[in-house]
Amino acid sequence: MSAASGPGIDVADYRDVWVFVEQHEGEAAPVSWELLAKGRELADETGESLVALVVGDGVAHLAEEAVARGADRALLADDPVFEPYRADPYGEQFRALVEARKPSIVLIGGTHTGRDFAGRVAVPAHAGLTADCTELAVDEEGLLLASRPTFGGSAMATIKCPAHRPQMATVRAGVFDAGEPAEPTENAADAVESVEVVVAEEDTLSTVLERVVGGVVDITDADVIVAGGAGCEGDVTPLVELAEALGGEVAATRAAVEEGWVEPARQVGQTGKTVRPQLYIAAGISGAVQHLEGMNGSDVVVAVNTDPNAPIFEHADYGIVGDLHEVLPALTAMVREKQEVAA
Amino acid sequence: MNDGWNIVVCVKQVPDADDVTIDPDTGTLNRSDAPAVLNKPDHNAVESALALRDAVGGTVTAVTMGPPPASAVLQAAVAAGADGGVLLTDRAFGGSDTWPTSLALARAAEELDADVVICGEESTDSSTGQVPPGIAAHNGWAQLTYTESLDPRPDEGVLVGTRDVEGGYERVATALPVVVAMVFGANDPRPAGLHRKIFAETEFEPVQWTAADLGIEDRVGLVNSPTKVGGMDTASPVERERTRVDSVEALYDHLAEVL
Ligand SMILES: Cc1cc2nc3c(=O)[nH]c(=O)nc-3n(C[C@H](O)[C@H](O)[C@H](O)COP(=O)(O)OP(=O)(O)OC[C@H]3O[C@@H](n4cnc5c(N)ncnc54)[C@H](O)[C@@H]3O)c2cc1C
Ligand SMILES: Cc1cc2nc3c(=O)[nH]c(=O)nc-3n(C[C@H](O)[C@H](O)[C@H](O)COP(=O)(O)OP(=O)(O)OC[C@H]3O[C@@H](n4cnc5c(N)ncnc54)[C@H](O)[C@@H]3O)c2cc1C
Repeated sequence: MSAASGPGIDVADYRDVWVFVEQHEGEAAPVSWELLAKGRELADETGESLVALVVGDGVAHLAEEAVARGADRALLADDPVFEPYRADPYGEQFRALVEARKPSIVLIGGTHTGRDFAGRVAVPAHAGLTADCTELAVDEEGLLLASRPTFGGSAMATIKCPAHRPQMATVRAGVFDAGEPAEPTENAADAVESVEVVVAEEDTLSTVLERVVGGVVDITDADVIVAGGAGCEGDVTPLVELAEALGGEVAATRAAVEEGWVEPARQVGQTGKTVRPQLYIAAGISGAVQHLEGMNGSDVVVAVNTDPNAPIFEHADYGIVGDLHEVLPALTAMVREKQEVAA
Repeated sequence: MNDGWNIVVCVKQVPDADDVTIDPDTGTLNRSDAPAVLNKPDHNAVESALALRDAVGGTVTAVTMGPPPASAVLQAAVAAGADGGVLLTDRAFGGSDTWPTSLALARAAEELDADVVICGEESTDSSTGQVPPGIAAHNGWAQLTYTESLDPRPDEGVLVGTRDVEGGYERVATALPVVVAMVFGANDPRPAGLHRKIFAETEFEPVQWTAADLGIEDRVGLVNSPTKVGGMDTASPVERERTRVDSVEALYDHLAEVL
């Protein structure tokens, strides 16, 4: 495949900040709006336009919503070939748009879908792609500074892409704030441009035989999270009840998810979600770097662990040495009692 | 019928993740001279490759790109049951980001006439997960990332993968050749058999290819890598109170301030 850019390209030919609006069956993934809000900041700093890229089947409403949420323009590739998502048609459409329109910065959600197709787009474009960034900024020259955790979150690397364009980055859900939802304004549609669809069904390399998606829980919005790990030993009832009493969500370590005690959508960490609640209660969790990476942004962290030397205590505001099967129910009872008194 | 598939499994050598911890006071890496090991998620890739060979016949060839000591991960794959191993090693590869890394692996897969390339979900050191889609893109092949299980249909020349799509799953049928990235923990890797292990340690010699052998000497390395690591910082430690409480009442009182 041809390299669209690389050493020798004129980086000045590339401008604007693009945000990929990930959607499934017409519903936007929350990370899309988080990136749009961040993209707005970056575009304001570089003095460029913010462009939303909407790909799907019957998704004009999302292009209009993107404009209402702050995009200067939206590009819409609307065709049945784009539903459900597949890497090769999305990759090919995106490549064609990047080659023709030369964006400077492209932000994509670090979801399974976003990570599946970002790597595919970056190759033919010969673009720099920085994975799972947790900070994005631009320097004096308008170069993107993309910072990302490495070694399971124990180090931060800042990555630049001086001679190639676009500068692409994926960002996990929950890292940035989405800003306020917005209803499309009357003239939002004027800022939406339908683009030529360059892929045909007969050229695709794959067929989706079946797709089963339940109601997907989103723990990234929760103000309170009660997370459990291997220490739950198969019984997560104490987590569920405390979360209920506090009006929060249950989350888990990879260990608890692998055991099947908690669903994968609730995993926090390097290969799970990034959360920043006001209160994070870590029960029966040792505090591995890959877990800490996903919850270090929490305001207040509480650790409950039988082992007084568990590393999690070093990363917690309040720690209590004890069996979570005793501590959590006692705490739940106390919370409920005070709530009743208050009511 | 067919005489089996050429299965290529990509394995990476990384510092042992279990030995990497953070010092909470300084935020520095405690790596305790972490030994180099086979990237944990790649154990799942190797197992899938062997299971696929069990199902359709053919061969499993392990490939790694890295300095000569990286051949240790090929040895591990051969001990587990891979038929052979290829080491892509050359000074020219130095400083490669995911673009040239996936190019080298893509060219090797082409050289090996691969029907299926199997990778891990991501590496434990730089963990981009970009290499598998990159291999597929360089070769214009199909891809299946976040794959939980594989269902080969050799008579149709099709591989069906079940993918984790966050909140559910999908089953996708792809034409061959295809690049697969297995979900970390998707299967239970088989233990290495004693005979294979002895063979891997005493007789196995990896095939070695340079960038020139692959015809990509001008397209790899630092100069052909779009991304540059501008700076490395130890993650700044988050300031925490680290207060021990000795009763649930005391804990509740602290929480009442937050809630
Ligand atoms: C590539 C890669 C990616 C990863 N991604 C993630 C990720 O996204 N998220 C993640 O969480 N992990 C991830 N991990 C795994 C991570 O390294 C740890 O193995 C994992 O976080 C450990 O989970 P845990 O704390 O639940 O279990 P353990 O480490 O086994 O800790 C259990 C803790 O429970 C305590 N305990 C036991 N019984 C009780 C009890 N009755 N009451 C109270 N405490 C008790 C023990 O003292 C211990 O501290 C990843 C690993 C790799 C290699
Ligand atoms: C601190 C730091 C940060 C980095 N960040 C980025 C970044 O954001 N973007 C970027 O483009 N590059 C980045 N790099 C460069 C990147 O680490 C290398 O290109 C690396 O060789 C491949 O990337 P990975 O480990 O992330 O592979 P992943 O894509 O995470 O690996 C997935 C699978 O691909 C296979 N695989 C990967 N590498 C090899 C190999 N050498 N041999 C055989 N199989 C392999 C394995 O099956 C592995 O399980 C970074 C490097 C460092 C040191």
